[in-house]
Amino acid sequence: MREGPGKAFLLCNEAIVRGALEADVKVVSCYPGSPTTEILDAFSEISPKFDYRMEIATNEKVALETCAGASMAGLRSLTSMKSVGMNVASDSMFSLSYTGVKGGMVVVVADDPHAHSSQTEQDGRPFGPNSYTPMIEPSDPEEAKRMVKHAFELSEKFGTPVIMRTTTRVNHQSGIVQLDRLQRTPFKKAAWGHPPGRFVTVAEAARKFKAALLERTAKVREEFEASELNIVRDTGSELGIIASGAGYNYSVDAAAILGLDPSILKLGTTYPLPRKLISKFIKDLKTVVVVEELQPYLELHVTAIAKDANPGLTIAGKWSGHFSESLEYNPNIVVDAMAKATGREAPVNYAAILAKAAELKKGLPDRPPTFCPGCPHRATLHAVLDATRGMKHILSTDIGCYSMSFLEPLEYGDALLSMGASLGIAVGLQYAAEEKVVAMIGDSTFWHAGMPGLVDAIHHGDDLTLIILDNEVTAMTGQQPDPGRDYDAGGRPAKPLILENVIRAMGIEDITIVDPYQVRAAVAPIREALTRKGPNVIISRRACALYSDRNRRRKGEVIGTNKVNKEVCRRPYTCIRSFHCPAISIDDADRKAFISKELCDRCDVCAKLCPYGSIRPREAE
Amino acid sequence: MATKDFSVYMAGVGGQGLVLLSNVMGSACATAGIRALTGEQHGLSQRSGSINVHMRVGDQIRSPLIPVGGADAILALEALEALRYVEYLRTGGVALINSRIQHPVIETKAHMKERTAIYISAEDVRKRFSEITDKIAMIDALGLANKAGNPLTENVVMLGAMATLEDFPIPVEALRKSIAENVPQKAAEVNLKAFEMGKEEAYDILCNIVKCRK
Repeated sequence: MREGPGKAFLLCNEAIVRGALEADVKVVSCYPGSPTTEILDAFSEISPKFDYRMEIATNEKVALETCAGASMAGLRSLTSMKSVGMNVASDSMFSLSYTGVKGGMVVVVADDPHAHSSQTEQDGRPFGPNSYTPMIEPSDPEEAKRMVKHAFELSEKFGTPVIMRTTTRVNHQSGIVQLDRLQRTPFKKAAWGHPPGRFVTVAEAARKFKAALLERTAKVREEFEASELNIVRDTGSELGIIASGAGYNYSVDAAAILGLDPSILKLGTTYPLPRKLISKFIKDLKTVVVVEELQPYLELHVTAIAKDANPGLTIAGKWSGHFSESLEYNPNIVVDAMAKATGREAPVNYAAILAKAAELKKGLPDRPPTFCPGCPHRATLHAVLDATRGMKHILSTDIGCYSMSFLEPLEYGDALLSMGASLGIAVGLQYAAEEKVVAMIGDSTFWHAGMPGLVDAIHHGDDLTLIILDNEVTAMTGQQPDPGRDYDAGGRPAKPLILENVIRAMGIEDITIVDPYQVRAAVAPIREALTRKGPNVIISRRACALYSDRNRRRKGEVIGTNKVNKEVCRRPYTCIRSFHCPAISIDDADRKAFISKELCDRCDVCAKLCPYGSIRPREAE
Repeated sequence: MATKDFSVYMAGVGGQGLVLLSNVMGSACATAGIRALTGEQHGLSQRSGSINVHMRVGDQIRSPLIPVGGADAILALEALEALRYVEYLRTGGVALINSRIQHPVIETKAHMKERTAIYISAEDVRKRFSEITDKIAMIDALGLANKAGNPLTENVVMLGAMATLEDFPIPVEALRKSIAENVPQKAAEVNLKAFEMGKEEAYDILCNIVKCRK
C-alpha cells in the first residue's frame, strides 16, 4: 500500500478501499459477494499493516450491525455487500437510518445488472428512499475513491449512514486513480457518552425519529442541490442526457460516436434527488434521454419534475421503449437508443455485426461456468447421483459453487432462491411433495442463513435430508475463511466452529460424514442416510481444490497429473458420464478419453471411477 | 501526452490469467502516463467458464466496455473463446489467438453420444475469423510458455505478441517493468522470457501482415 500522493491502476473495489483508508476508517465488516468481494479481499490482505479492526462476518446483516455498533460509539466504519446482501441486512438498515450514527458509516451496495453472479437483477436503489438513507453513485474508480471520502463526511455531518450504490461494471472497472496522502490516526476506542435510549427505536421513539428523519432528509436534499457530486455540462443543446453510474460512461461515449454534443446532467446523489437541479437542467430542453440500468428510477422522478418544469419535454427512457429494464447496458445499446431518440442513423450497424457474428459462431459449444478440475463438489454430486439412482427425489439447492449443478452438463437441482433457502423450501416440499426431499448447502451458506431453517426442521421433525458440502471456505467468491476456519481476515487467529458438533448440539444425532474423493465408497453411506427418516444430515467434507492447491503450492508441494493408458481404456466413458471434468475430453483420433496435463489436478476421482484402471499418475511413466 | 485510442478485447477460460494481463497493461499505463480503463469479470464466471476483459486506452474514452465492432485487436488465450467474442473485433482488426483449445465439457458430453463428432479446431476458428479480418496470428502460446519454462505464462506470451504492434500504445519497457512488478517475484524471470518469446514469434508470423514496432 503506497503512502501517496501518486497514481495507481486500481480496480474500483480497491479504489473504494483506498478511499476508506484515506478517510481513516476504523472498523470494517463484510460478507463476500460478487461484485463487491474485492473490497473485502483488499481490506483483508492489507489489514496486518493497518490498525483498523476487521471481520469477515457471518452474513451481511451481522456485518452491517457490526459497523452500526462501531459508528454508534463514534468510530468510522464501512461495510460492503452485493445487491441481495442488502435484503439480508435491510432489517437493521431501515432502523439504523432512524437512529442515525455518530461516527461516519458507509454501506457499499453493488447491484448486478445482467445477473452475472446473482440470482436476480435486483435494483438496490429503492433501499435509499425506502429507508431514507442518503445514496450516492460513482461511475469509475477515481470517482469512487473520492466519493467514499465524501460519504464519510456527509455521514458525520448529518448523523446518518450513507449508501454508496454501484453496479458490476463500476465495481469491476479498473482505471488510473490519484492517490492522496495516507494520514492515519492511531486506533483508539471512543467513550460512549450517549444518553440512555439514544439508539433505541420502537413505537413513540420511532415516531420521533421519523420526524427528525424527514427534517434530516430535507437538509441533505438541500446540500445535494449544490453538491459537487452532481456534474452539469451545459452545451446549450436542446438535447439533454440524465445519467448516473455506469449509464453515464456509456452516454458520454455514445454521444461521441453519434457526433452529438448534448447537455449532460451526471447525477452522483441519487437519494435524495436534487429536484431543483433536475428542474433547472430540463427547463429548456426539447428531449432528454435518461440512461440508467434496471428500473426507471431516475426516469420516474424526471417525469414527475417535468410536469411543472417542462410539460412538453420528450423523455426517452424505458417507458418510451428506448431502453429495456432487463440486462446491463453497453455503448452500442446506448448509441442505438440515442440515435432513435434523435431521429438519426447510428454510424455503425450493430445489428448487422451481431448477425454476422451469430453466423460465424454456428456450432460453437457454450462454456458455462463449471466445477474446477479437482473440485470436491463434482465428486459429491457424482456420488449423490449414484446413490439416488432409481430414488425419486427433489433437490432443493442453495447459493455457492454447487449451485452450478443445475446447469449443463449435469442439470441437477430443482429449486434455488437465496442464501440458506434450501432448508425452508425443503420443509415446505416435505409437506407438499410425494418424493423424497433433499436439501443441499455449502458450509459458508449454512453459517450465513442455513441454520434457522435447520432449527425449524429439527424442532418440527421434518422429513428431509440435508447434505452439507463442507469445502472449508467461501469458495465461490475466492476462498475466504468462514466460521469453520481457525483464522479470519488478514490471517488473524479465530475460533473454528465444528459443523457436526453444532448440528449435534442442535438436536440431530443422524450425521453421516463422507469424503467425496472416495467417490465409490461414499455411495452406500449416502444412500443409506437418504433412506432413513429425516431430519438427518450428510456432511461431504473435502477442501476446495483451488484453496488446497494454493496451500500445497505454498508449502512447495508439486500438484501431479493423471494420464489415460490407452492400451487399457475400453471407452466406457465412466470418467466423463455424470462427472464432466474440464480436464477430460475425447481424443478425436481413437475416441478414447484424454486428460489435459495443463488442467488435471490429480484428485484421482476419475481414476476411481474407471472400471478398467486405465487412469494412472503421469509421473509413474 | 495525447494517446491514440486503442481497445483490446481479451478472452479466455476462467483460470488462464486474463485479469493479471489487464493489471500488467494497466499498471504499465499508470507508469507511462497513459489513460487506461478496463471492464473485467470476476466471480461466478471464473469457474472454468468463458471470461472476457475489455481493455481500453484513450484520453476521452469513458465506457469500460468496448462497443461491438469496436476492438482494434482481440487477444484470446483460447481459440474457441476468440470466436465467442468475434463481434467485438472491427473489420480488419488484429486477431491474436492462442491455438490451444480447451474443450468445453458440454461438447465432450455430446461427443460421448455422437461417436463420429469431432471437436471444433483452431483451424476452423481461423477460417471463420478470416471473414472479418486478414490480420490473424495463431500462436502456440503453450509451446512457447513451456519453452520459456512455465506453462502458466501463456498469457504473457500473448502479451508479448501484442506488444509488437505499431498501434499498441503501451511502451515495451513499461510492460516489462510492469510484468516484473505484477507477478510473484520468483516467477518474474520466466515471465519476462515468455514475453520475449511472444514478441519473437509475432515478428515471425504477424509482422509480415501487420505494421510492427521496429
